[in-house]
Amino acid sequence: MRFGAGLWCLQATATAPRHHSTAYRQLLEDAVALEAFGYEGMWLSEHHFFYDGYCPAVLPAAAAALAVTTRLRVGTGMLLLPMQRPERVAALAADVATASGGRLDLGVGLGYRDVEFDGKGVPRAQRVPRQRAGLAALRDIAVPAGATIWNGSATPAGVARAGARGQGVMLSGANPLTLVRELAAAHREGWQEAGRPGGTRPPVAALRNVWLTEDAAERRAALDWQRASYVLYAGLGWSVAERDSTPAMDFLSDPGGAIADAVATTIIGPAPAIVDGLHEVAEAGVDHVIFRVVIEGAPQAALHHVLRRLADEVLPVMSTVEAS
Amino acid sequence: MRIGLQLPTGDLDLAARADAAGLCAVLTPGGVAGVDSAAAARVAARTRDIRIVLRVRLGVEHPVTLAEEVAVVDHISAGRVVALVDTADLDPDAAAEDLALLRASWSGRAIRHDGPRWRVPSGLMGPGMPTTLAVTPKPAQLDLPVWLDGTAAGAGLPVLARSFAGADPTAQVQPAVDDLTGDLDTDRRHVTAWAEAGATHLFVRQPDGAGVDFVRDVIARYLMPETAMPHLPRIVVDSSPPLPWPGPRMAPTASREDGLDG
Repeated sequence: MRFGAGLWCLQATATAPRHHSTAYRQLLEDAVALEAFGYEGMWLSEHHFFYDGYCPAVLPAAAAALAVTTRLRVGTGMLLLPMQRPERVAALAADVATASGGRLDLGVGLGYRDVEFDGKGVPRAQRVPRQRAGLAALRDIAVPAGATIWNGSATPAGVARAGARGQGVMLSGANPLTLVRELAAAHREGWQEAGRPGGTRPPVAALRNVWLTEDAAERRAALDWQRASYVLYAGLGWSVAERDSTPAMDFLSDPGGAIADAVATTIIGPAPAIVDGLHEVAEAGVDHVIFRVVIEGAPQAALHHVLRRLADEVLPVMSTVEAS
Repeated sequence: MRIGLQLPTGDLDLAARADAAGLCAVLTPGGVAGVDSAAAARVAARTRDIRIVLRVRLGVEHPVTLAEEVAVVDHISAGRVVALVDTADLDPDAAAEDLALLRASWSGRAIRHDGPRWRVPSGLMGPGMPTTLAVTPKPAQLDLPVWLDGTAAGAGLPVLARSFAGADPTAQVQPAVDDLTGDLDTDRRHVTAWAEAGATHLFVRQPDGAGVDFVRDVIARYLMPETAMPHLPRIVVDSSPPLPWPGPRMAPTASREDGLDG
């Protein structure tokens, strides 16, 4: 099992105000810290036109984080590919990948907010063909430069298509483990049915809400930081559709229920409890865990504290564990 | 006149040396397909004080997307960006529209733009969508400096000069670019001529084969003082530099800035 952390969204929110330049300065400090702690990856996220300045341009931000590190990989989780011109975004990604010696994990997603499509002049109905065109440009321009493509999806069909292309997937932290298991299986089947392109099964990465602590007050705070961080999704209007054993998680129409369900996914406690929880994640088919610890209200000191503890007490135990 | 440096490639060490030597700004190299935001972000991450003149090539992407990238780099650099907008292949009307949308995106206002090339918000998603849009985050700077380059440049903003005749001595800001030869007397005369022509910020390109210390030992030592005041008393630049501190090395960043790394 391999480990990273995320998601750096570079916001300045109503309930955790700061200067945006502080957010970007801390991004670079956090990148250096992650590398020193021994993590493999740092993951950023993209949205547009939101009041809190949610990062709208992940590739320049990734380029900066890569410029202050030498081993750390930096990923986009996700770059909203249909909203950019294919050849240009591929050239930009190629530049980032080349300059970093191939340390760019280029996660791409479709996007889901109508206001973003409207603002960029892209009909939402065209997002799938535009995604295909973008992926083709990335394959031709960015991958030869050293970028690794990842896909964001919450549907079995979507992750199966990624598997069939021989590409990895990155799954949301709000997904319950039942859905993670279903999606990981669909990804694997998609890869197998396509004739195992590349010869090696492409990885499944999953954001998971994790916090290591024995302290009751820190536990309360960390769970409240998780709650606060998911209020954002109510503002953005994100949702997970009901399917089979997975109940709907609709942050727009039922924000209280959806937030509670997302917080309930948190693996929290002392190191043995984290290890037990991560074994379940591995058994669900996850190869890469991205600790979702960059959350609303968590100060940088708390972030570095928990990342260091996880690196010291959990990563060595889990490093030899493989996804089921 | 102030002197900055053209970065012919994305050489971060060269940018760091320019920062350490006190040059006013670096000019990003002009990447493939007008892609300079990542190069500028790298420079921002590896420098502290120097301004970053970021080429923004019009016509290669939606102006709102370009504006978002520049704003992000402005925050990475804590407000050190100058946008050098290159009108590239656009005709004057098209360039004016794209430039207007870029600048509106950096303003503190919610925007609505309806022109021949762009409509923002587009209205493509049907009724119920907002009729104005806030491009976020705003730049770190209260008023992001915008300079122009290209055949369609206009709009009363500073325009990059490539010849003495192209410099406007009445402009508040008159940026210019030129190449150095590596011959000190020639380059002294050349930068002085640019100052006399009215340039305020000259971005020089190092000669091919310039040594690793060219920025510090030639540009900062001789050319910047030469144009910093009329009738420079040359004894101040011709005397030997003070000896470096013989004590233990400091942290890497500090030692580089102190010139102890050689």
